[in-house]
Amino acid sequence: MSPPRLTGALRSFSSVSKKDDFTEQLYDLKTKRLKRQKLFAREGLTWEKIVRFCTEHQDKAKHQAISQELKNLLLAAKQIVGTEHGQEIIESAAVFLFETFHNKDHVGTEETRAIKQMFGPFPSSAAETSYACVARLLAPLRDSQVEDFIQIHSSRHSSHRGSTFGCNIAFSYDCYTLDPLEELPWSGIHEKSMNLDF
Amino acid sequence: MACARVPLDEQQVTEPGPLGKERTLPALHPERKEERYFVPYKPPPADGSPAEVEEFLEHAKFITEDLEWLLALPHDKFWCQVVFDESLQRCLDSYLHHAPRGLDLTALPSSPAVADMQRSIHRVVFLTFLRMATHKESKEHFLTPAVFGEIIYDNFLFDIPKILDLCVLFGKGNSRLLHKMIENIFIQQPSYYSDLDETVPTVLQVFDTILEKCGLQCEGATAMGPMKLNAHRQPTAMTMSQQELVDIILYLCDSTTTIHAFQDIFPAACSSFHSHGFVSRLASFYEAAVPDLEKAVRKRNFDDKALQEDLWKRLSHSCRKMVETAHLLLHHTCLQPILEGQENMQTFADELLQHFTSLLPEKRFLSDYDEQFPIADDISLLQQALPVIDETRTSYLLQGVESAWDSVGRRKPQSRTKSKASS
Repeated sequence: MSPPRLTGALRSFSSVSKKDDFTEQLYDLKTKRLKRQKLFAREGLTWEKIVRFCTEHQDKAKHQAISQELKNLLLAAKQIVGTEHGQEIIESAAVFLFETFHNKDHVGTEETRAIKQMFGPFPSSAAETSYACVARLLAPLRDSQVEDFIQIHSSRHSSHRGSTFGCNIAFSYDCYTLDPLEELPWSGIHEKSMNLDF
Repeated sequence: MACARVPLDEQQVTEPGPLGKERTLPALHPERKEERYFVPYKPPPADGSPAEVEEFLEHAKFITEDLEWLLALPHDKFWCQVVFDESLQRCLDSYLHHAPRGLDLTALPSSPAVADMQRSIHRVVFLTFLRMATHKESKEHFLTPAVFGEIIYDNFLFDIPKILDLCVLFGKGNSRLLHKMIENIFIQQPSYYSDLDETVPTVLQVFDTILEKCGLQCEGATAMGPMKLNAHRQPTAMTMSQQELVDIILYLCDSTTTIHAFQDIFPAACSSFHSHGFVSRLASFYEAAVPDLEKAVRKRNFDDKALQEDLWKRLSHSCRKMVETAHLLLHHTCLQPILEGQENMQTFADELLQHFTSLLPEKRFLSDYDEQFPIADDISLLQQALPVIDETRTSYLLQGVESAWDSVGRRKPQSRTKSKASS
């Protein structure tokens, strides 16, 4: 709980601000994750593009094995998002996993956090499986080929951050700290508080 | 994309509708808002169990990502989101409410990951408010100033408590930018001055509430009617629970720091405070509350001596801020116009002397004020600017200041006494 604050009193007792009930939790993490999944599914890379990319660049003889890896990736994605979701959400999750693991050599903390951020708690075996699938799918391909593909299609990797408002502003993290008028020595407090009432 | 060299509020855009058919809309239109769902901010966990830390990090990541996305939006889309997305405003409000201040008891996050994340949020929240306070981003991207004033006011994008929060959260290192922001807000929407005027009595009420909680009669109490015989049984700073005493001192510390930060960053606000007799009310409060609170912190038995020391520092800090606030008010409303050689210099000088004279009974406040901002120096300035200042009046005042020092049993610092004697 926040300590008592002047601005809290002003919000409660003056009529100059909008009255809002901040105890009401309108947007919980579950709702937020669902929203993010939908947004992710709407833009950038799609499952079809991944399927095409993986098959187009490899021998026909390997297509069956590739198809099996893609199926395994979808199954792992299904385990991560939950079985109650439709094909669209599962494919979008598989896209997310593909993007997450395409240039990784293990399932690290960063990847685990990114998956949890998107889908909530998930079985770690599913993450390991999807990592292994992506690794096998991309093993025959050159790194630059994969990077180009991701750069072109992925919304997560698009670099429009240069125009972000305030990116050139020097921001200071300094904050107000205690600046006492009079620093009494610790002993001073003790001496004065001693009551020698004989 | 909206067209150039026309204010955003007058632009129309043609874009595909939900069914794919092209349609023309005002550039600022609720249907152009993205469904983003900003989550409200929660402060870093106090004890920092791994699960709580993880939850904080996850929550905070959503906020930083979403605000970075917002800051990267083009001008027109940014304003659609700001005006029509209620979840964004809730997110920003929740940050202002709950973000730890530098003065909070548990201000420092326990883990480096939490501290880093908190810093990221802190920065993007500030930049978001900065963009919301900017009506002209470039020659092509701007709002009509009057419309900007209406938008920020009618949608409560800024209000007085928010402005005060911004000052206390970001003012220490970003005072110049904040000054520009707040100045622009007040210039484009003068109704904020009326709101400020309406807020000052509530600020004064906060001080009265503290007096009341300490069992000290406040100014308004005498007018309310006769007191019951058992009214004095109300707890005092010595008898209230320790938690209550801690809360009162934290409240005082936050209030005095916030008021001072705001006036320091935006001195134009001083006249609103001044017109409500803020200096004399603050001095009376100081005189009544500070000795009692000091006595309570010194003499009560604290099991946690670190807490006792911390409370002492907070109380002492609050005293400094109250004195500095009084000085800021007197400086900006009376002394500054004289130094700038404005018209009616004599009136300002009389007012300043009147203020100092009215502070004579508040001996503890006066001596603390004089220690930080020697009144003799201000009088000397007045005498240089206006040679016709009544010397009897100034001598009486300076004697009163000396007597205030004597009556609180303190001595002026030696160097100052000497320098005064030699002058």
